[in-house]
Amino acid sequence: MPDGVALTLSVLLPIGIVLGVFLTIFALLTWAERKALGRIQNRLGPNRVGPFGLFQPIADALKLLTKEDIVPQAADKVVHFLAPVVTVAPAFLILAVVPVAKGFVPVDLNIGVLFALAVSTASVLALFMAGWASHNKFSLLGAMRAVAQVVSYEVPMVLAAVVVLMAAGTLSSVGIVEAQRGFGGWFICKPWGLVGFVIFQLCAMAEVARTPFDLPEAESEIVAGYHTEYSGFKFALFQMGEYVAALTMGGITVTMFLGGYLGPGSDLPKIGWLVSACWFFAKLGIIIIINIWARGTWPRVRVDQLLGFAWKMLLPLSLVNIVAMALWHFAPNKIAGWLVSAALLVAAIFGLVKINAGKAFEKRSYRFIS
Amino acid sequence: MNAIFLTLSAVTVLGAVLAVSLRNLVHCLLALVLFFLGIAGHFFLMRADFLGAVQILIYIGAVAVLILFAIMLTRNIAGTEGARRALGGAWWLGVGVSAALAGLMIAMTRRSELASKMPYGATEEGVVKDIGKLLVTDWVVPLEIMAVLLTAALIGAVVVALEETKKR
Repeated sequence: MPDGVALTLSVLLPIGIVLGVFLTIFALLTWAERKALGRIQNRLGPNRVGPFGLFQPIADALKLLTKEDIVPQAADKVVHFLAPVVTVAPAFLILAVVPVAKGFVPVDLNIGVLFALAVSTASVLALFMAGWASHNKFSLLGAMRAVAQVVSYEVPMVLAAVVVLMAAGTLSSVGIVEAQRGFGGWFICKPWGLVGFVIFQLCAMAEVARTPFDLPEAESEIVAGYHTEYSGFKFALFQMGEYVAALTMGGITVTMFLGGYLGPGSDLPKIGWLVSACWFFAKLGIIIIINIWARGTWPRVRVDQLLGFAWKMLLPLSLVNIVAMALWHFAPNKIAGWLVSAALLVAAIFGLVKINAGKAFEKRSYRFIS
Repeated sequence: MNAIFLTLSAVTVLGAVLAVSLRNLVHCLLALVLFFLGIAGHFFLMRADFLGAVQILIYIGAVAVLILFAIMLTRNIAGTEGARRALGGAWWLGVGVSAALAGLMIAMTRRSELASKMPYGATEEGVVKDIGKLLVTDWVVPLEIMAVLLTAALIGAVVVALEETKKR
């Protein structure tokens, strides 16, 4: 094989594999989510197309592809067209740095995690473009909610990631996974890692606007939010962007806190890559189940609760978490580190809950009702 | 000068020109984002991955969103009011200033030692570790001053916001 062809193949093959695998998971995820939500709500969920309704995603895709594409007359045509494209792009770009198996990562950037965080924040522009270009009151409301929400949750998310970077001493996603080797080496098994994981997971859910943080597209308040004026394939692209973003953020969470592809048997000589890939996707599955479970059981929060939670609870907690990590790092031995950082974090959580509790249940007064 | 560099530069310049010439403020912002992306691309092209990612995180994730909030608080977003002129009255002044700035920058990059170091050779530990170590050794005083300044600005913003709620 000539060198040029080999080089092109070595670049394109991992991209092709990752895109294929994640798009298949995306299709299955839409089915699994509807099925699981159905069970939670005592329904059956999709069960007509194929065995257990498994072919439902294909039917949905065909339906959306053949639907008429409607652009409102007053819409800003160019921006309206660009918004779905810009939504999908960052979601897929993050995949480039997620190590899905041992020795398999499309691009091993030495700033992998920073790249993922940076790209995921760019998605907010797409939501705004969609909402603004539609020239619809509900769309604009949804877009402004999305912007406020993503900007607020970006801060604790990056700060929650800082502890992982401190522990691993590198920004490379492969380096972070390799730093979690050994029994109990996963960062979630440490006090600061557990708190960081919870903060990061909540922020990731808010960042991709999933229930209970789905205010940008709250059906019962603003029709469908920023994608009210989209139909057909553009609507499908929004759905795809959202689900793929949820998947890739889950992948980043797994990489940073759950030990990525590590697990018993992931270092075996011949089949290590397969075992490690199974471990990665099993952990990703757990994150997805948490997402669906939260969507099925938690009510949507109010706007003031949403922003208050980010600024008054998660932000101070993530700052305390960094201090706890520093104490852990400089503690004379492991037990002292455990005790000190765990005590600090428990005290911080209780303190913050106590400080914030008074505001949440204030008697509300209405101006025009005596 | 390879094809990637030329394409990136063309996109960057196009974004910059559109950002100052379009009528609609939101379009201007989107063009500005294109320009920021082009700059980030240049950083990546120069193997400065860290700067590239930070460029996206700060300029697109934060600065562009801040400008967005500012635009949403203004009138005449569509740019339909007011005079429609391709060039402002004092366009020659702008051309003069930009020509002077460009000349100054070219002269400075020719003179400075940076030009000779241009393909920056990172040590074995990588660019990120180099930057980190320099920040907490040689540049620790500026770093701390910046941290204090930012904290003061943050507290100031909170204080301003607090007073407004008390007045009501």
